[in-house]
Amino acid sequence: MVEALRVAIAEDSAILRDGLVQLLVDRGFVITGAVGDPSALRSSVAQFQPDVAVIDIRMPPTFTDEGLRLALELRDRYEGLGILLFSQYIETRYAADLLSDNAAGIGYLLKDRVADVSDFVEALERVAIGGTALDPEVVTQLMGATRQIDSLSVLTTREREVLGLMAEGRSNAAIANALVVSEGAVEKHVANIFAKLDLPVSDQDHRRVLAVLRFLES
Amino acid sequence: MMGEEADDREVRMRLGGRDVALTVTHEQVAMAKEIVRRILVEPFTKRPWTELAFYLVSGGLAGLGLMFVGLTMVAGVALAITFFGVAVLALSVRSARGLGGWTRSLAGSMLAEHIDDPEPFVAKSGFLGWLQSALRDRVGWRAVGYLAVKVPWTLLGFYVAFSLWWDAVVCLIYPFMGSGASNPPLFGIERGLFFQDGNNYGPPGFFHAVAVVLCGGIFLLAAPWVMRGFVNVDRMLMRALLGPDPMAARVRTLEQARSQTVDASAATLRRIERDLHDGTQAQLVALAMRLGMAKEKLGQPDEVDLDRVRELIDEAHRGAKEAIAELRDIARGIHPPALDIGLEGALATLAARSAVPTGVSVDLQARPTPAIEAITYFCSAELLANVAQHAQASRAFISCAQQGTWLRLVVRDDGCGGAQLSTVGSSSSGLAGLTDRVHAVDGRLNLISPPGGPTVVTVDLPLSA
Repeated sequence: MVEALRVAIAEDSAILRDGLVQLLVDRGFVITGAVGDPSALRSSVAQFQPDVAVIDIRMPPTFTDEGLRLALELRDRYEGLGILLFSQYIETRYAADLLSDNAAGIGYLLKDRVADVSDFVEALERVAIGGTALDPEVVTQLMGATRQIDSLSVLTTREREVLGLMAEGRSNAAIANALVVSEGAVEKHVANIFAKLDLPVSDQDHRRVLAVLRFLES
Repeated sequence: MMGEEADDREVRMRLGGRDVALTVTHEQVAMAKEIVRRILVEPFTKRPWTELAFYLVSGGLAGLGLMFVGLTMVAGVALAITFFGVAVLALSVRSARGLGGWTRSLAGSMLAEHIDDPEPFVAKSGFLGWLQSALRDRVGWRAVGYLAVKVPWTLLGFYVAFSLWWDAVVCLIYPFMGSGASNPPLFGIERGLFFQDGNNYGPPGFFHAVAVVLCGGIFLLAAPWVMRGFVNVDRMLMRALLGPDPMAARVRTLEQARSQTVDASAATLRRIERDLHDGTQAQLVALAMRLGMAKEKLGQPDEVDLDRVRELIDEAHRGAKEAIAELRDIARGIHPPALDIGLEGALATLAARSAVPTGVSVDLQARPTPAIEAITYFCSAELLANVAQHAQASRAFISCAQQGTWLRLVVRDDGCGGAQLSTVGSSSSGLAGLTDRVHAVDGRLNLISPPGGPTVVTVDLPLSA
């Protein structure tokens, strides 16, 4: 990181908000705002133009999906603003709303993921620079709910693992790292998957995510 | 016969050769006088005459109504095999409902007997739907029943009351009718009130005449009360048969009660979920995060910042214990066990645990309901947590006092102020959540926090919710 990433946080639980600030500052991020509700984040983002916003889905006033609506709004208004939705529950519907036309600079993670600090920070950085970070839970749910069971069955176990990690938004290097194989091996798996599922090949990770998700949702 | 004492009077009489003395209290005398007065005055007040008028009008209406309803009903049943018969029957039930409405308004205007309107007639769409609704209209059928009972009852009433009035008049003028007067009849019975030597219509004797006149007086005085008895039975009939269907009313009450209960339990579940989400889950995530940070620091190849790691583990340790405690609270009746002994003890415990030295004053005459106690407690907890985290205060104070049927919780601190329900850059987040919780029981939350402080949060809650 040449320059410290600037992060805005909207989280209504004081304990978590303070914890996040502590964690991110510790990791060298600059916090431009840590607020507890959508309108405060709106003005904070307008004022400080952060690189990425971490947004809790359930926030005041109604504690339903304020965060999601705010995220969609901010994504339309600020090009290049990474958005990491942060929730205690995973709703596949929300993921679908969020990724309907574009997966660039979008993340959707369970709050639990902060426990693995490095993974969390890595996901946040990925989102900040225009990548995608989907919670494994989202991917599992999508793969579980998909009607493409027959198509998936043509994949080998390893290929299915790679598909899942790809759907999370990871790069080939990260997948290789996670599976402890060479990047070349991953590239081969990815090529196989795209061929078997008849997906449009893309070199950009976030487009790849979208392609995989489309496939799973169809 | 009566004594002369001012207050209690003594009544002396000879019974069976003995002197008997009875003491009658002042009130008893007054009551007896009132009863006598009422009896004497009643025929000359407005009331019996309006009752009579009602009886005549409503009786006439019911008679005509029953004639129409009865005829259409008989015709309808007779033709029931054809579609036309069914339609006539439906029309009959609908007319009975209309007649019931007229009778109700007559009773309202003439007798001041206000009977609630029954459920309105709701027809299903289409002519067949209308037919079906009309034939199943309980209100209409009850009105038919009313007419069927009312008409014979009215006839009986006319007969009895009119006979009394008529007999009264005949008896009262009896002595003046001269020797040609026939023996006064009673209720129209030919043999008359007093037998007088068979068919011998001689001039009446003096005592005979006095007895007849006395009887006439009694008839005159009794007639309004007899009339009233008949009208009162009619009132009961109207209330039972023309008012709202008691079954329907009961169903409505139960439906309301059920929906309130369902709402309340849904709200309770939502509150539990909120408690878990805002409390334990957040605390566990923060705990995992701290442990994660500590783990990473320990894994660093170069020198380990042991002080920082110790700090993180310390915080995590504290968080874990708090989460356990909170979870236990939630599991055990969804409210802090400390509340079992009342708000005072619970708030004192809370204050003692607070990082900022906190004073407590609780002044409640009555115990609020558990829900209110829990909200008061959670508000205090969240507000104290805010004080500890944001206010940079050296002291805080919780006061909880009863104001009429309301409970007022005030949490103040001597910190830097500037708290808002939504803030940029800093935070006060939890406040909005609290407002929501307070509104759920129709309470109010008010925040005064000028920059530089002090911050005063006032929460008003109803004592029962």
